[in-house]
This record gives sequence, structure tokens and C-alpha cells, in this order.
Amino acid sequence: MEIFGISNWLWPTVSVVLAILFVWTLLRRRRAILRSRLPQLIEMEDALKEIYNIQQGEASVEAGALAEALGISVETAKGLMGVLVASGWAEGDVSVGIRLTMQGRERAQELIRAHRLWERYLVDREGMPLEVIHAEANIREHEMTPDEVAKLDADLGHPAWDPHGDIIPDAGCRVPPPAGSPLTDCMPGDRLRILHVEDEPPALFAQLVAMGFGPGVEVEMVEHQPRYLTVRVAGSPLILATAAAERIHAVPVPVLPVPLGELPVGVRARVVEVKGGGKHQRRMLDMGLVPGAEVTVLRKAPLGDPTEYRVKGTAVALRRSDADTILVEEITNG
Amino acid sequence: MDRKTITVGVTGNPNVGKSVIFNTLTGSRQHVGNWPGKTVEKAEGVFHYQGWEIRFVDLPGTYSLAAQSPEEVIARDYIISREPDVVLNIVDATSLERNLNLTLQILELTERVVVALNLMDELRRGGWEIDVKALEEALGVPVVPTVATEREGLPELVAAIVKVATGQQQGHPVAVDYGLTVEGYVESLEADLAHLGFDGRSRWLALKLLEDDPEVVEAFKQGDLAALGLVAQFVSPEALQALLRRAVRLREGTQPDAKVVIVSGRYEFADSIVHRVVHRERPEEESLTERIDRIVTHKVWSWPIMLAMLTLVFWITIKGGEIGGGWLEAGFSSLIGAVRAWLVSVQAPWWVIGALVDGLMMGTGTVIAAMLPPMIILFVAFALLEDSGLLPRLAFNLDRPMQTLGSQGKQVITWGMSFGCNVTGVMAARIIENKKVRLASILTSPLIICSGRYGAGVALAIVFFGDGALPVMLSLVFLSLGTAALATLGLNKTLFRSEPGSFVLEMPPYRKPKFWQVIWRALWDRVALTMWRAVEFAAPATLLIWVLGNIPRGVPFEQTAIGWLVHGLAPLGRPWGLSGAMLTALLFALPAKEIIVPALAMTYGLQTSLAESEQVLAYLPQVWTPLTSYSFLVFFMLYLPCLVTVWATWKETRSLKWTLMGLAVPMVMASLITFFVYQGGRLLGF
Repeated sequence: MEIFGISNWLWPTVSVVLAILFVWTLLRRRRAILRSRLPQLIEMEDALKEIYNIQQGEASVEAGALAEALGISVETAKGLMGVLVASGWAEGDVSVGIRLTMQGRERAQELIRAHRLWERYLVDREGMPLEVIHAEANIREHEMTPDEVAKLDADLGHPAWDPHGDIIPDAGCRVPPPAGSPLTDCMPGDRLRILHVEDEPPALFAQLVAMGFGPGVEVEMVEHQPRYLTVRVAGSPLILATAAAERIHAVPVPVLPVPLGELPVGVRARVVEVKGGGKHQRRMLDMGLVPGAEVTVLRKAPLGDPTEYRVKGTAVALRRSDADTILVEEITNG
Repeated sequence: MDRKTITVGVTGNPNVGKSVIFNTLTGSRQHVGNWPGKTVEKAEGVFHYQGWEIRFVDLPGTYSLAAQSPEEVIARDYIISREPDVVLNIVDATSLERNLNLTLQILELTERVVVALNLMDELRRGGWEIDVKALEEALGVPVVPTVATEREGLPELVAAIVKVATGQQQGHPVAVDYGLTVEGYVESLEADLAHLGFDGRSRWLALKLLEDDPEVVEAFKQGDLAALGLVAQFVSPEALQALLRRAVRLREGTQPDAKVVIVSGRYEFADSIVHRVVHRERPEEESLTERIDRIVTHKVWSWPIMLAMLTLVFWITIKGGEIGGGWLEAGFSSLIGAVRAWLVSVQAPWWVIGALVDGLMMGTGTVIAAMLPPMIILFVAFALLEDSGLLPRLAFNLDRPMQTLGSQGKQVITWGMSFGCNVTGVMAARIIENKKVRLASILTSPLIICSGRYGAGVALAIVFFGDGALPVMLSLVFLSLGTAALATLGLNKTLFRSEPGSFVLEMPPYRKPKFWQVIWRALWDRVALTMWRAVEFAAPATLLIWVLGNIPRGVPFEQTAIGWLVHGLAPLGRPWGLSGAMLTALLFALPAKEIIVPALAMTYGLQTSLAESEQVLAYLPQVWTPLTSYSFLVFFMLYLPCLVTVWATWKETRSLKWTLMGLAVPMVMASLITFFVYQGGRLLGF
């Protein structure tokens, strides 16, 4: 019979087999590349990043410090440092301490940029929770060409902050120069992150450092008087003379939208965005959960879910899964 | 002549007192049906005012007119249809902003709107005041403050409706300003629509296109606007589709989506109105609702409170059922005695006396005496819980455990009602908005042991198990709850799979229920209708049972119709350990489960009518083993729902398919579980 004729099944079969083979080889090649190149590359680049971080204040980095930071043995750390020196990303004697070269620093900054962009992406586009994005970004950052990084950056609309609130370096891979303003310009109630403490005069600088001021430290402005101001550092209020406060530059801590479901009872928040699309989004909007609307967390059900909220003068209960599609900013003062 | 009638579409958010205004104005002159092709109830009522016949059409309560649910589509289509002369929008004064979201959408559709500002008493109690004149000016249509429960403001409301209907008062509805970007897009789309020959509704159409409204977008895609009630001549489908593509491009071009911008814009506008017209009279104080809620939804105290509430309701139901049932039974038996004496005195033939007295009257009397008292109590209790605002709190507390079954907290409430009477449980399911959860509740409610089955079960358990009756009954209650949970899980995993749907539960403030209104409404709306149905089913059924037990006349039991039935059904029940007599009795108990004991007396040939019988209770332990008894009790608790429940299922679903499912789900569960119990018991050597 005709259907058993060779011409009827040979070519389709051959083409299907070929297609499968083709796809399989592609996948295998991709995986092979990842498998052969990545682990070593990842180790190396992770070491590079760590050295970059450690080296910020120091002249050189010892194998011991690197081993501690990465959680590996000193021997392995020395091996990695050797590879870094051999590849031209670092210079110096492995047994004493190494410094990053210009290329090494650039590569480290590229990695940090890719890492933070990925974190932004994972939170914004895939809705992953904050605690898992670091590990995921740690893998993805190594797979990127500079072009791909640039594309990701453009895709995300050139974000300035990663989800942890760290600055994403710009395309030249320089962290932008401190754009902060002196503490004396800030208002009571502001929450600030210190970018820079002037190191002149040295005595004042030393005293400020001893009090706990330094880059990256978060402070809250409590009181602003003409001759002094009070700030809260790590929970305890400190009084600063205006002359000293002028030498500390800070930026407002970025307020990050958080899912509504994560807020504890009693907190007030402002809706930033309603995700989800379709009927769900429309329903939430029609209930008054529009961007800009104020929401108060009233109480949780005895078993923790759902939660009752006050919005637009009415009380509605939402399940955790629905509440988490609504991103809000906590309202702290007023 | 025709213009002597005014048709009013009544709209509003849920829980704003819409039905109170509707009921107060139209009284009992109501007609309840369904919207064509929908399972949503449509209520209409008529009343007269100064020579006008005013027809109220109650539209479903919605938060929006976005056409996202059948309710929203119905409400919107009705407003678009130009059938209503006036749209009455009932607004909750205590949450004006959220309510104005709907009002502003209505104003985009029609200028003949009257706004009733209801719950003014509650607003004032909270220390607020609304400047009604300012609100009227802001909206551009008449606004009438009302307190519907006290009939306050209703005459003024009707007068305003007539004024608007007759054109004495012209509305100049305000148009929401959606901001430069959206307004620009609207203008350009409006120009396109005008070019195609639309007028009047073009701004609304343009907005809906930008809002990605499913109905409008679909109509444009099909190239046919008839579904929207718009007739546009000389417009080609291609032109409409081209317009749609343009609108989609515009919508997606804004950041965020124009849909979000439009809804936010409406709320911003509402916010600005509220700021102008609402002001505080007294400082805020902690509300009663807040204080009650802190206890009722407390982590620990909520559980004993809920348990106490349910126990109280059931205790009253069972006690009231016993007492009321006793009275009714006494009344019926004296009535039956009188009728029998009269029939004998006029020398009626034996079959007339038998059919009429022993069949029809005795059977129907038993059903009414058993069903009526618990039904009245439950309906009233449920209505009180609903009106006071406690029901949403129960749903709130119990939502989490029900999530694991793929359901919602409200389903537990229908189960709770089912413990009293499955009919009330099925009817209580209408408080659930989500269609799938509602269906699951309707289908699983009959698995819960109702007070009728419980009472009959206790009587049987005591004769079979003596002191062991209590644990046996408890095991049956847990078995029925477990079965209902299992069936819910099964339904949600198979038939009702698909999108989980967002869950929004509004928590209205506690209100003191209008006790007499509630009782009157429960009795009139529910009990009277349901009881009438019960009698309609019970009367012919009990007559038929009597006939089956008494023909041919004077033959031994085995040769009567029932004898043949018992004999014929015997093989069917074997895998479950059920005899033919049991199956026949179960069939006879379908009009009302309470009559299972007299039915057994008939199917075991002990008597020929459904009169209460002590004899059978002495007889059964001699022929049933403990395992048979327990299997029978399990099957009895779970099998086919009673006929009134089936009718209620039909009424609530309006679908043959789901009514049949309502029969199939309990039947399948009963067969499965009884099979395991019986065969398992045999394996264990009982």
C-alpha cells in the first residue's frame, strides 16, 4: 500500500531526526561551554570581586583575607590569586599580597554592574523575593557580554539602584561621584545614607569615624538647630556641630516598594504599582488600590491569612497572594 | 399613556442598602426572576406615586462597570440599553470615595441619574458631615440624603426621580479630567469616532478602548457594535478594527498602562470631590467595629467565640425544632383525626380515607412538622448574622483552612447552615461571588448532616448501639465533614481547575440588625416559598408511597407493590450491605429524610402508612448486625439530597447539568465511603 511506501515516511523521519540532532547539539554545546568554562571562570571572577571589595581601603590584599571572604582554604585562595596575576587582572606577590591592575578593577566593576542589574531584573520582571536574587545574580553575571549588559540596562530603563539599595555603576563602570548633599541641608525625619566623609581636618575625621560615621552608614535626622543637629546612628541619637555635619555628605535612602502582604499590622503605606494585569488588576484598582492610594494594615486573620486593610475609607480583606501583587511604599512620618 | 410609566434602574456597590430601598419602596409587589441567559437574579418591583407607575429594576451590586464579571456586564448593558428612564445610584455615604468610582462611571453613560446618599445616620454617628449641595454641584445631578432603614429621605428621592424622568430637572454630569495624556488620546479617538458617524457616546467609547474594556474591545474586534446597543450605520468592520489597533497602540504607549491611569484618574477626581464636600464634625474615636473585631478575629478567642456562636444556633435550632415540631405534630394529628372521623361519618370508601388521610395528610404533616421549625430558625439566624456583619468575619477567620481545599472561607458558612438544613445551606451559597466556589458549596452542602437526618440517626443509633450512640453519631458528623472537604478538594482539582481568581472580602462595619424587618423578610422571602415547595414535593410523594404500600388490597406484604420493590432492589445494595427494604426506605425518604423510620416500618411490612412507629425500632435490631446498621447510617447520612434541596440547587444554578451534579456528588461519595466501611468492616471480622 502507498502509505507503507518509502517516500511517505523516509523524508519526514530524516528531517525530524536531523532537527532533533541539531537542537541537541546546540544545547550540548551551550551546556558544554557552561560546564567547561564557567566553574573556573566563576571562581576567578568571584575572587576578583572580593579582592576589589577588600582592596577599597587597603594597599594590597592577602591570601588569608580572600580565603575568609570566600569561605575557602588559604591554599585555594593563593591558587586563585596566582591565576588572577597570570591573567593580568592583578599584580604583586601572591605570598605577600596582590593589588588589582587597571584591567582587573574594570572587570570587577563590570561584574558588579551586571550583578546589580540582574538583581534589579529578577525583582522587577520575575518577581523573585529579595533573599534569593543574590545567588541567582551571582551565576548570571558571569554569562554576560558587555553588549548584553548594556541591553539589559536599557531594557530596565537605566535604573540607578539595585533592589538592596546599592548604586548600580554606570556604563563606564564608575560608581558616580557622590551626588549627596551635606547633612546640614537635610530635614528632620529624613532617612539618609552617608556617601562620603571629608578626611580634612584629620582630627575631626578620626573623631567622626570613631562616632560611627562612614560611607554606607544609614542615619536618621532627628532635629535641626542653627548651631547643631541631632542624628540617629544605629539607634542612638548623636549631636553634631554644624561645622562637623557640613563635612558629611549623604543621599536619601531610596524607599523601595515592597509587596503589601509583607507589611506588619498597624503600618500605613502608599500604593506604588498594581501588578498582575487582566481581571485581577482591574478588580484591585476598582477596590481603590490605585497608585497613590493610602493603605493601612488593620489586622490578620487568626491563622495569619487573609489580612484586613483599610483603603479609601472601607475595610477589605485580601489574601497574601493577592496582596503581594500590590507594591507599596511605607509611610514613615506624618 | 405610555409615559405614565417610569422605569428606574437601581445601581450601587454591594452592602449599601440597595435592597432596603428597593424593598421599602416596592413592598411586596415584586417579581423575582433571572437576567436572560445569566444565573444572576433579577428583581423588579412596581409602586405608584402621583399618578405615575414607577417600575424599579434592581441591578446587581457592583464596584465598577468594567464588564469584568457577569454582574458588571448586566448592570452596564442595562444602563446602555436606554430602557431605564432614570438610573438611581445608591451610594454609601461612609465610603464616598470608593462609591464615587461607580457613580462617575455611570455619569459617563447617562445624564439621567439620581444619587441616593444612603447610610447618612452612620456617617453622622462617626462624626462626619457631607455638604449635599456641594456634592450635587460637583456631580451635576440631583443628590438626596437618605436613611433607608428609617425611611428617611425616600419621599424626596422619589420626587427627584420623577423630576429627572419628566425632564423638569436636567442633569449636567461632570466629566472626569483624566490628565493631559489620556485626554489627548480620548480627543483624537473621539475625532475618529465622529468621523465614523458616532455621536453621544463617543467619549465613553474612546475611554473604554483605552481602558482595554473586554466587551468593547471584543465588539470592535468583531466589527459589530450591536452588542453594545449602538447602531452605527455605514461603518465597516475594517474601520472599527483599524480604530481598535490605534487605541491599543495609544494605550500601550503610556507609562503605566492607560487603563491604570484612567482608574487612578477617576479615583483622584473622586478624592478631590470628597475633600471638598466631606468634613469632620467631631474628633475621631475608636469605633465599635474596631473593638468588636479585635475580639472576634483574635488569634485565640476567635475560635471559642465562633464555636459558641455555632453551638448556640444549633442548640436553638434543635430545641426549637423539637418544641415547634411537637406542636405542629399535635395540631396535625388532631386535624387528621377530625378529617378521618368526618370521612367515616359520610361513609367514604376505604381508599379515599386511606389515600387522603393516611397517605397525603399524614405524610405531608410529618414533613412539615419536621422541616418547618428548624428552617424558620435557621433562616432568621442566618439573616441576623448577615445583617449584623458577623458573616464576613467568619469568612475572614476561616479562609486560611479553606484555601487548602482550593476554596474560600465563605464556604464554611454554607456548611454551617447545612448542619441545620441543607436547603438553607444551598441557598446561603449566594453570598459567594466567585462562581466556582459557589458551585462547589452548592454541590457539597448536601453531604453535611442536616438536623432531620441527625434526629432520625440518633433514634436509630440508640436502638442499635445503646450507650455507644454518641460516639457513633460523632463519627458520622466527622465523616460527613471529611467527605464534604474531600468532595470540595476533588471538585476543585478536576472540574473547577483553572485561574484561582483574586479574593476580595469586604468587611462592612457592624450594624444593629433591624430585627423585625429581618424576621419578616426571612419568613416571607425564604421560608414561605421553600415550605410551599416542600409540600408540593411531599404531598404527591407520600400519596404515592401509600398507594404502593396498599395495592393490591388485602394481600400479604410480599405481594404489595412495596414488597415487589423490596424484592427487586435487593441485589443492587449487596456490595454495601444494604437490603432491598433499606433501599426502598431510602427512596421513600427522599421527600424529607426525617421520615426514614416510618419508611422502614413500611418497607419491613410492619405498617401501611407513614405514621410514627415505635414498633419498627424494636424490630430492626433483630434483623440488622451492628455492621449493617453502621453501613446503613453512613449511607443514609451521605446519599441523595432530599427533593427540596434538589429544587433549591436548581433554583440557585438554573442549570440541569449542575442540578444533576448535585445528585451525583453525594451519591458517588455515599457509595464509595459506605463500600469502604462495609467491606472494611467485613475484612476486620465484624
